[in-house]
Amino acid sequence: MTQLLLFNAINGLIIGAFYVLMALGLSLILNLSGVINFAHGGFLVLGGYLAYALTPYVGFWGALLIAPLLTAGVGFVVERLMVRRVYGRDPLYGLLLTFGLAFILEDGTRSIWGAQGLPVSIPAVLARPLSSDFFFITGYRLFMVGTVAAAVFLLFALLRYTRVGIRIRAGTLDLDTVSALGINVRGLRSLNFAAGIFLAGLSGVLAGGQLGLEPTMGTGLLMPGFVAIIVGGVGSLPGTLLGGLLIGLASGVTAVFFPSASEAVIYILMAVVLMVRPHGLLGEEGLLT
Amino acid sequence: MKKPIASGKIGRRTVLKGAAAAAVLQLTGPFVIRARGETPVRIGMVDPLTGVYAAPARNEVIGARLAVAELNAKGGILGRPIELLVEDSANDVGTGVQKARKLIDRDRVTFLIGDVNSAIAQAIAQVASEKRVLHIVSGGHTDTITGTDCKWNVYRVCNTTRMESNSVAPLLYKQYGKRWYFITPDYAYGHTLQEGFAIDAKKLGASILGDELAPLGTSDYSAYLIKARAASPQVLIVLPQGQDMVNCLKQIVQFGINKAIPVAGAQQELESLEALPPEARIGTWMFEWYWKQPGVPFVSEFVAAIRKRNGGKVPTARHWFGYTSVYSMALVANREKSLDAVKLARALSGFELPPEVKLQPNRVYYRAGDHQLMTSAFVGRAVARGIDDPEDLFQVLEVVPGDKTAPPVSETGCKVRWPA
Repeated sequence: MTQLLLFNAINGLIIGAFYVLMALGLSLILNLSGVINFAHGGFLVLGGYLAYALTPYVGFWGALLIAPLLTAGVGFVVERLMVRRVYGRDPLYGLLLTFGLAFILEDGTRSIWGAQGLPVSIPAVLARPLSSDFFFITGYRLFMVGTVAAAVFLLFALLRYTRVGIRIRAGTLDLDTVSALGINVRGLRSLNFAAGIFLAGLSGVLAGGQLGLEPTMGTGLLMPGFVAIIVGGVGSLPGTLLGGLLIGLASGVTAVFFPSASEAVIYILMAVVLMVRPHGLLGEEGLLT
Repeated sequence: MKKPIASGKIGRRTVLKGAAAAAVLQLTGPFVIRARGETPVRIGMVDPLTGVYAAPARNEVIGARLAVAELNAKGGILGRPIELLVEDSANDVGTGVQKARKLIDRDRVTFLIGDVNSAIAQAIAQVASEKRVLHIVSGGHTDTITGTDCKWNVYRVCNTTRMESNSVAPLLYKQYGKRWYFITPDYAYGHTLQEGFAIDAKKLGASILGDELAPLGTSDYSAYLIKARAASPQVLIVLPQGQDMVNCLKQIVQFGINKAIPVAGAQQELESLEALPPEARIGTWMFEWYWKQPGVPFVSEFVAAIRKRNGGKVPTARHWFGYTSVYSMALVANREKSLDAVKLARALSGFELPPEVKLQPNRVYYRAGDHQLMTSAFVGRAVARGIDDPEDLFQVLEVVPGDKTAPPVSETGCKVRWPA
């Protein structure tokens, strides 16, 4: 039993790492632009399918880099043409817009690549378990965790040490003052939106290798991302990181005792956090209220 | 001088125009009457063209469209052309019901087909029953549709979950042993399917070591697989469908579990096998219909016809479901020379499909007691790569007749009540 619990706890953290990647992208956009991006799952799917289309030409490793960049490009255009029109309005406008976008992305993917699921092969070197005891830690899952860790490290370094990063952080706290200081807030938001969508695209490529591709796959992967943000605290990227890992762990451990509740437990956890600490574990009071 | 807007007088030109219009009406009158004689017989089809079941739903529609084209070339129904009206249920019960009502009330369909999703199929059956419209459930498997919730006007083409478990359980027991472990999708279909296996296990003397209920839409099965491997069963029985099945099998192979524990299940579909990479096409399953049947009449013609409409790809069981649903309605209507729902529903009881429609070796008929089609189960193994054809991904070991896999009517709980 102890071994089973340990295995599921480690496994939960691996799943949590994936949630972190989804949630960080969502969180970036939410923090600076105040838009709850329901189309994030749709961009995830787009990233996965673009990687599928690119793999024959550039291989898995090339697609891993190019597909998220292309997805980010699409995100940039979408922000310029549509999303920026809802900034500063009632959050309902953003919700409706991104909800509609999610449908367009899903149906667009379906009409280009078909409704039937597509197989994605991963490099043979990553396709094996590392040991017979820890059979659930495959090379690919470890690679996913490594990629997430690298992305998180780069993102935090970018936000901490670069001019753009510092402006994004400042904008998250007080956009009006940042704007009054003469900083191009419109450009900053476009760039930030594209960075969030880059993370969605990267999630899509990684999820495709693990699960295969299917036009509706984004929907199921989106909700844990939102839950991670709420648990960790809106406005706090370290909170999002913590939230993602925590819900993964909770889901993994619950699967040992009540498998059918392994999905519900993340929402129970969210409810408990909201009751005890309404602004999330590391969130700041007053943001987005 | 300006013309008055309304002078109150009827001008010469107006009279002439009126007369001309009346003359045209006289001329067109007979044509209108003749067109009424050729008013199409409308068949409504409700299927989830968007959402997780979009692939099987779209294939059912392709199959139905082929049947309509073939039948129209042979004179349609009672000499009238058939028109197929397709509506998207979006995999949502409320939407499905709304679309079924629209088809019946506004479009005046004579027959109804659908849905892939069992819950929607059941809800539509209720509407069709209220409105007294003959309804064929093409692809929703849950037992109650032709069991405790059966209706005089509702027939079903695809298997029940009991038929599915009965078709493979004896083979699993013989081939792998008596310690079974399940991964079951946590909704009506999964529950009834697992219950069917539990009844079979009791009969055969097998024991169930565990049953992991995974929510619908689970993308990561690792937690369940860790528990399943720890229990060391003799066979791991995987029951989720569609993308859930794809996710589960991929992880089983990535974890190397299939090297220690054989993998099997009930229903498998070509749509799922094609979505898997070759190394994950494993296991013992049943197909509800398979495209490669050497020597069985009319199968190769059907395969060729579907290929033309399906981007060169072979038909799956779903194409056959749609095709058979339309043909069943047309054949029985032409035989009875009627479109009356009660008359046709009675005529479908015990109706046997001809070889050009059944497309399989055994006798295939709608059982009178529960309106379930007694269709065969194609039991066999998934193969990584097709030898002659890249889509030949299943090796059929046995074709079990429907009346051997179906439990007796007395066990289904169905009591058909006919309208007075």
